[in-house]
Amino acid sequence: MRSISLYTERNTVIHAMDPISKLFYILFALLIPIILPSIKVSIVCVVLGLIFLLVARVFKKTIPVFSFVFLILLTVIIIQGLFRPGNQTTLFHFGPFTLYKEGLMFAFGVAFRVINIVSAFMILILTTKPSDLVESLVRKGLSSKIGYVIISVFQIIPEMMSSMETITDAQRSRGMETEGNLQTRMKAFLPLLGPVILGSLANTKERAMALEVRGFNSKGPKTYLLEEKKYRYSKVVQWGILLGIACALAWRILV
Amino acid sequence: MKKIIVENLKYKYPLSEKLALNNVSFEIEQGEFIGVIGRNLSGKSTLCQAMVGLVPHFYKGAYGGKVIIDGLEVRNYSIADISLKVGIVFQNPFTQITGSKMTVYEEIAFGLENLGISRAEMINRIDFALNLLKIAPFKERSPFDLSGGQMQRMAIASIIAMKPEIIVLDEPTSQLDPEGSEEVFRAIQDLSKQGITVILAEHKMEKMAEFCNRILLLDDGKVVDFDVPEKVFSRDDLGEHGVNAPVYTRVCKALNKKKAGTNDYPVTLEEAVRVLGGMGL
Ligand SMILES: Nc1ncnc2c1ncn2[C@@H]1O[C@H](COP(=O)(O)OP(=O)(O)O)[C@@H](O)[C@H]1O
Ligand SMILES: [Mg+2]
Repeated sequence: MRSISLYTERNTVIHAMDPISKLFYILFALLIPIILPSIKVSIVCVVLGLIFLLVARVFKKTIPVFSFVFLILLTVIIIQGLFRPGNQTTLFHFGPFTLYKEGLMFAFGVAFRVINIVSAFMILILTTKPSDLVESLVRKGLSSKIGYVIISVFQIIPEMMSSMETITDAQRSRGMETEGNLQTRMKAFLPLLGPVILGSLANTKERAMALEVRGFNSKGPKTYLLEEKKYRYSKVVQWGILLGIACALAWRILV
Repeated sequence: MKKIIVENLKYKYPLSEKLALNNVSFEIEQGEFIGVIGRNLSGKSTLCQAMVGLVPHFYKGAYGGKVIIDGLEVRNYSIADISLKVGIVFQNPFTQITGSKMTVYEEIAFGLENLGISRAEMINRIDFALNLLKIAPFKERSPFDLSGGQMQRMAIASIIAMKPEIIVLDEPTSQLDPEGSEEVFRAIQDLSKQGITVILAEHKMEKMAEFCNRILLLDDGKVVDFDVPEKVFSRDDLGEHGVNAPVYTRVCKALNKKKAGTNDYPVTLEEAVRVLGGMGL
């Protein structure tokens, strides 16, 4: 089945981890560099994130995302290195420009934090089935309605794309040009939006009714067909992460 | 035992000027197979939805009279409560897929999970529904990965697993190819054989004449007739109500061949053969 999810099936320790633990790790990656702003700490975190991505054997999948992030970060580094207020220590000149140490260090700090957070999210997204994540959250108390919306978006959007393809095929068979340069393609694409969006709206009403009559708004407690997935060491990992954050806080306050 | 009692039901959709159902009254017995016919916009879908509480709870709008299903007055109960008694299947098999389940098996579980049915009971019911609708071979497939007829049978199975005593089907074959329609009609007959009370809105009159114990003819939101198929299809004013009799009835009418000892024309192939057989055809 087609899916818009970036989940990549692999048999690794990271894949077998509780999705909630991965959310904890995102929290960790967000907080640690804020609590301990030293650039060394950020580097350690980045290395940790990259190791996890390698262990999960999804590093290749991250390359497009990282290339995009690097492009943005490069501009940050150049602009900060050249123009950050408070720039004093000259590193070197090229032409009329001077690169300063303060701006550069600041930009590297930002860059490491961003890479750190991006890797933490990639670990979650690339190694977790969306439905597993949502199911874990619903069992932890997330509203099952919100859970439904999230999961169904992952399934229904690919279906909309395939209905778009059907309509495109129909139009092509009637002689409409649907390929070629951007302009022709836009011309072919826009008339599609009408039927697809109107169709989806009409479908939404019917789907809402179909859900209603299957007890979607039932007040009582829900049950689950699938046994709750048992993840090993979840508690240890999650408490470990919290402990790590607490230690960082203590270090910051005491030292 | 009276399974369904409808008394002076009147209903107007919000923002609409006109009554979609106008003083509708009828009663249905346990285990009956009831057909609902009428031209487009005559109120078939509205009536079907009134049986499960979508009218009025889903749409709101102005509502008068009573619908009593197995002792419950629909107006006073939530759709989730009513869904334990009556299930409904819609036209479009695609929009009845929840879109949140990976396999046919899990899809059928959706309603049971919402109702809080225990896992052991759920598995029993899903297996029963899969077998009754003959879709067990596809249970591990993606719900989107089925033919129209299979998808519609999955929609029926999803409702049957909730163990309603009544099932309402609103033109369940109108978007299917002939083969898919045939599969679904056979499935509906199987449901009826299980003792489930069936209400079917449908345009294929030959099928209606063959399956139904009684037929409810609607026009402009009003009940024109509610009787056995021979009586309803023998009416002279069928055309004025926008309905065609089954082809067998039309042939016999043209030849003025009534069923022996009655005032009614044959409605099925066998009856027609019996009546026309005497002509040496
Ligand atoms: N959602 C709606 N809002 C307003 N009016 C509606 C709606 N659905 C149906 N109607 C009106 O109710 C009447 C009966 O329609 P419907 O029950 O769909 O008939 P049928 O199923 O026999 O074609 C029609 O006049 C129609 O225009
Ligand atoms: Mg209708």
